[in-house]
Amino acid sequence: MKVVWMYHDIMDLYGDKGNMMVLKKRCLDRGIPFELDTCGIGEEKDLSEYDLIFLGGGADKEQISLIPDLLSRKENIKKAMDEKSFVLLICGGYQLFGQYYIAANNEKISGLQFYDYYTDTGKAGSRCIGNVVIDADLDGLKTRIVGFENHGGQTLNVTHPLGKVVKGCGNSFNAGYEGFYDGKILGTYLHGPLLPKNPEVADFVISKALQKRNPDFKYSDLKPLEDKFEKMAREAVFKKLEI
Amino acid sequence: MKTLSILSTKLSAWGLHLIGRGGSMPGSIGCKVDANILSKLKFNGPVILVTGTNGKTSTANMITDLFEKAGYNVISNRKGDNLKAGIVTTLLTHAKLNGEIKANAVVLECDELNVRHILPFIPVTDFVVNNFFRDQLDRAREMEQLIDSIEKVLPAYRGRLILNANDPNVVRLNLVAKNASFSYFGMDENKYSVKTTKEASEGKFCPKCGARLEYSYYQYSHIGKFHCSKCDFQTPEMDICLKDIDLDKETFSSDGIHYKSPYEGMYSMYNCAVVLNVAKNYGISQDCVKSVFSHAPQPAGRNETFTSKEQTCILNLVKNPTGANEVMKVIEKDDSDKTIVIVLNDREQDGTDVSWIYDTFFEKIMKDSTKEIICTGLRANDMALRIYYGGYKGPLSVVDTLDIAVKAALATKRTTYAIATYTALLPTRNAIKKEMGL
Repeated sequence: MKVVWMYHDIMDLYGDKGNMMVLKKRCLDRGIPFELDTCGIGEEKDLSEYDLIFLGGGADKEQISLIPDLLSRKENIKKAMDEKSFVLLICGGYQLFGQYYIAANNEKISGLQFYDYYTDTGKAGSRCIGNVVIDADLDGLKTRIVGFENHGGQTLNVTHPLGKVVKGCGNSFNAGYEGFYDGKILGTYLHGPLLPKNPEVADFVISKALQKRNPDFKYSDLKPLEDKFEKMAREAVFKKLEI
Repeated sequence: MKTLSILSTKLSAWGLHLIGRGGSMPGSIGCKVDANILSKLKFNGPVILVTGTNGKTSTANMITDLFEKAGYNVISNRKGDNLKAGIVTTLLTHAKLNGEIKANAVVLECDELNVRHILPFIPVTDFVVNNFFRDQLDRAREMEQLIDSIEKVLPAYRGRLILNANDPNVVRLNLVAKNASFSYFGMDENKYSVKTTKEASEGKFCPKCGARLEYSYYQYSHIGKFHCSKCDFQTPEMDICLKDIDLDKETFSSDGIHYKSPYEGMYSMYNCAVVLNVAKNYGISQDCVKSVFSHAPQPAGRNETFTSKEQTCILNLVKNPTGANEVMKVIEKDDSDKTIVIVLNDREQDGTDVSWIYDTFFEKIMKDSTKEIICTGLRANDMALRIYYGGYKGPLSVVDTLDIAVKAALATKRTTYAIATYTALLPTRNAIKKEMGL
């Protein structure tokens, strides 16, 4: 599995790098070769060569600096998506695939505009902060996802949410729904990081990525792993949230 | 109103003192009676305000000691807390009823987000900013907004800014403090400096023009010698520049004089540099400074060492990736066989977001001499997952009860390192003492 982490030195907030650690270990433990590459501003890369494209979250000020480079790669990212590269987006990365987002200082930042959703800023600097739990349906795989959200952005006009909010905010205050999933990209506000406590999502992402070069690959083809600590780590959050 | 505010604060502080409490409540009462009480106080002599993510307490305490040793009558919030109400308590309980502060030097440690409530209202002579790191972002929001809240009150500030010349996020304050004078401290390139780093999560872009910042070298995290790739923003010339750094002996020199740091690690030397900077500005002798360093108390949970006949246990507090990385380096330096017990809580004061454990290089302690890692605390399993995904090959376990976890670690008879978050520190210390019979 070949992964490219875009703007790894900028888009790495709240432990997002943990997602890469999880994908790597869960692949290698099953004998699936794993290659992690990075792509920074100005670097020449054909993103369509990768099975998975990953973008994490960044602070407003830093995020703005990568916009021209990201927009210059629009055609290449579209090609990658058309050729079944799967895309995993956290927080800022998720926002950037929509129409635009309004930064905390009210600056309007243009996104890649692959989707209709857009992101306003929270009123008077308000933010959605806290543990969050959602119920998602990933192509029939019903899974409860747990994470931590910390975003001022209010993402609206989301046509294909990732899941229904059980606890927390989601795409915006009182949104009821969280994230975006349409088979091509999985975008979410969930840090935590996302994947360590959600092994089913991790394996789902792996299976989607592997399908680029092996269209018949199924989630159930992945050999089960021990997942010794995951269940109790999730329980600790559920207990705290009284779920 | 002023007299009433001071009186009610004093009375409530006295009342709470009788029942064995204190802290911020008297100050809250004082503020309720007179919201502008701070601007009505009269000060004599230096008023030093100390802020920054890491090292506030040790730095402010050493500056307090420095003025005391130099013969000043000092008041400080050494025992109080560092939010507005705590600072008001400290000041009002030491004020005459006419508002005059009964001291000729004041040293205040101030929480970063509370600077805006203090700096504009009292005649600060020296405002020390040590560093800005990511710290419990779920409460402090993005660091950018935190710095912004300080920048907003700086244009009117007419005192001296004492700034860490090696932290671009601190140096940038000189861009907005148009009426202040500046004094800089920092550290010279040394055998521990590195050309590249994975530790730095800040300091990537120039705060003045937005271009990439370039570093000649890093000392730790994003602290180092930097310059902008486009404009003139750079590490300024330093008034205090530490040289001859030796982390094993914990020694350094400044202006040709050698000193021993009271604490381990490079980050602690920066706190010493602040003390030297203040001493220089006020003409306080090097003997006073040396005496401060040699008598500095060892704070709880900073390499706090417990020894019994057969065993040593070292306890460290961790609260953010930068501080935690420095703790990792200290443990990494010890090649002897060891057991590590990590206590991860997620209460309000710990930070409810535990994702920082992925920004911390726990990999540094995953070496052959680490024979076992035991995780406990409210988020023990999150910690175990972090270690597991970091690729640790040795025995890794989760123990629900803190006392049992500490007992199990000490039962290995190896040197034991205990790492605890804020609310876990005291219970962990108690467990260690109990188990070691101290």
